[in-house]
Amino acid sequence: MITEKPPYLGFGLGLRPQHYQEILDGNPAIDWFEIISENYMIEGGQPLYMLDQVRERYPIVMHGVSMSIASTAPFDMDYLRALKALAKRLEPKWISDHLCWTGVHGVNLHDLLPIPYTHEALAHVVDRVNYVQDFLGRPFTIENVSSYVTFAQSEMSEWEFVNELARRTGCWLLFDVNNVYVSAFNHGFSSIDFLNGMPRDQVVQFHVAGHSHEETHIIDTHDHPVCDEVWDFYREAVAYFGPVSTMIERDDNIPPLAELVDELNHARSIAGEVLGTAADAPRLVAAE
Amino acid sequence: MKSLKEIQDEFQRGILAGDDAILADVNDSGKEGRKVLFGVYRYGYVARLGEILGEDYEQVHAYLGDRAFANLVKAYIAGNPSDQRSVRWFGRHMAAFIAKSRTFAEHPEVAELATLEKALADAFDGPDAEPLRLAELAEVAPEAWPGLVFTPHPTAIRLTFATNAAEIWSALKNETAPPTPAKLPEPQALLVWREGFVAHFKPLSTEEAMMWDEAAKGVRFSVLCEMVATFAGEDEAELRAASYLKGWIDLGMLTSFVVLPCPDGAQTLS
Repeated sequence: MITEKPPYLGFGLGLRPQHYQEILDGNPAIDWFEIISENYMIEGGQPLYMLDQVRERYPIVMHGVSMSIASTAPFDMDYLRALKALAKRLEPKWISDHLCWTGVHGVNLHDLLPIPYTHEALAHVVDRVNYVQDFLGRPFTIENVSSYVTFAQSEMSEWEFVNELARRTGCWLLFDVNNVYVSAFNHGFSSIDFLNGMPRDQVVQFHVAGHSHEETHIIDTHDHPVCDEVWDFYREAVAYFGPVSTMIERDDNIPPLAELVDELNHARSIAGEVLGTAADAPRLVAAE
Repeated sequence: MKSLKEIQDEFQRGILAGDDAILADVNDSGKEGRKVLFGVYRYGYVARLGEILGEDYEQVHAYLGDRAFANLVKAYIAGNPSDQRSVRWFGRHMAAFIAKSRTFAEHPEVAELATLEKALADAFDGPDAEPLRLAELAEVAPEAWPGLVFTPHPTAIRLTFATNAAEIWSALKNETAPPTPAKLPEPQALLVWREGFVAHFKPLSTEEAMMWDEAAKGVRFSVLCEMVATFAGEDEAELRAASYLKGWIDLGMLTSFVVLPCPDGAQTLS
């Protein structure tokens, strides 16, 4: 079982097919890439080839959307085996998925669905995270999701739930800056309270992303540039956690790579302003 | 208090079946009512999967137009809850769904168009394999040729269409006006496979399709030649068979061969 905390990787992007060739041709100033794990649970062809090429040059982290860690349905063991096999191929720095469920009764709703923050749900998710960590032979990383509803049954705040989950399982955390901002707006809590409720030592990654504002609520669409309010909150997060591997997450309306590199450089400059040189990660050798 | 399981069951019914029971368990926010907020999940489910189907079935969409495709997508989503870990495979039943739909009963080309799009997608990320090179075959001694047995590329998919859907697909792909849909006088054989990173399809003559199907079953080359001779005449049958074989190798449709010993009395190639 791997137990040491993953390294600080600097500033990364989500690997998207639109950018494969440009990444391989241009060797752009991106420190690492995150992949959507499910997109590479395939047999062959260009996607896996390109991923292997990128993996030779950059550190990779794996980010899943279908583990359904908080579901009351049994785990899909074929999924877990495929995830483990992909991890063996890529040797990612860490493997993450969301604190959510995606369906029950054999259905995948392909969404990151929220849970009530109850003691029952906490015990359930703790058991499931422990199972996954044993299965993968390494700590798992859990990300907070954006949500649009809260449950009448909740007995604690989201940050209390996340904190306790990390304490009981030793899992790492992916702190999605945008998701906290979105959920704080939607549910009327303070994003700073959420931040201050996080265990400083457990967070290994930030996601920073754009969203769609619908006046009365915000939808986490990942199809816009990062807005000023999220950048402000990112600044707070960097000040609270110190250097944390940061990634711009864009899933739709994918712009040219240079545009995302500009956004990433904005993150670099904010982290640099807050932390000084501590944010400067050496370019890691991917094949180490 | 409701259990996590009860809440998840209700939540899922709320999305899939429009059941409002879940609304008793979720809160209004200070700014918006719970029905609108839960509606984000309901709408998101249909919108997300609709977008995926639009990407997977681009030419079906182009052929049907926005409105008819939107109706098709809506019906497909309602009738096919996903049981897949990735949206990559959510639309895999589309051709069968269209084929069973009364809406398209008079338009069999639509289901075949969907079949072709799915086959191309499957070939695109199907298993890798090094294609067989002609030079490797050139090393086989002439007396061993009758015993040659070939392995198709693992992405190869054989299709047989009753309509001109392949021609329609090509026109739409090239952004030109598709031909009038028509039932063909004879079924059209197609082979879909991946060469390098690109998925292709190739129409096969009836004779070539017959030989391919038999070769893919592991039938040895001497028997393939006999079959070709029976199919369209003995005149130059071996030449025709060799020509098909060369075409398949040139296009990367085969990956390897073995040489089986010929049984006693088996025909040898001239």
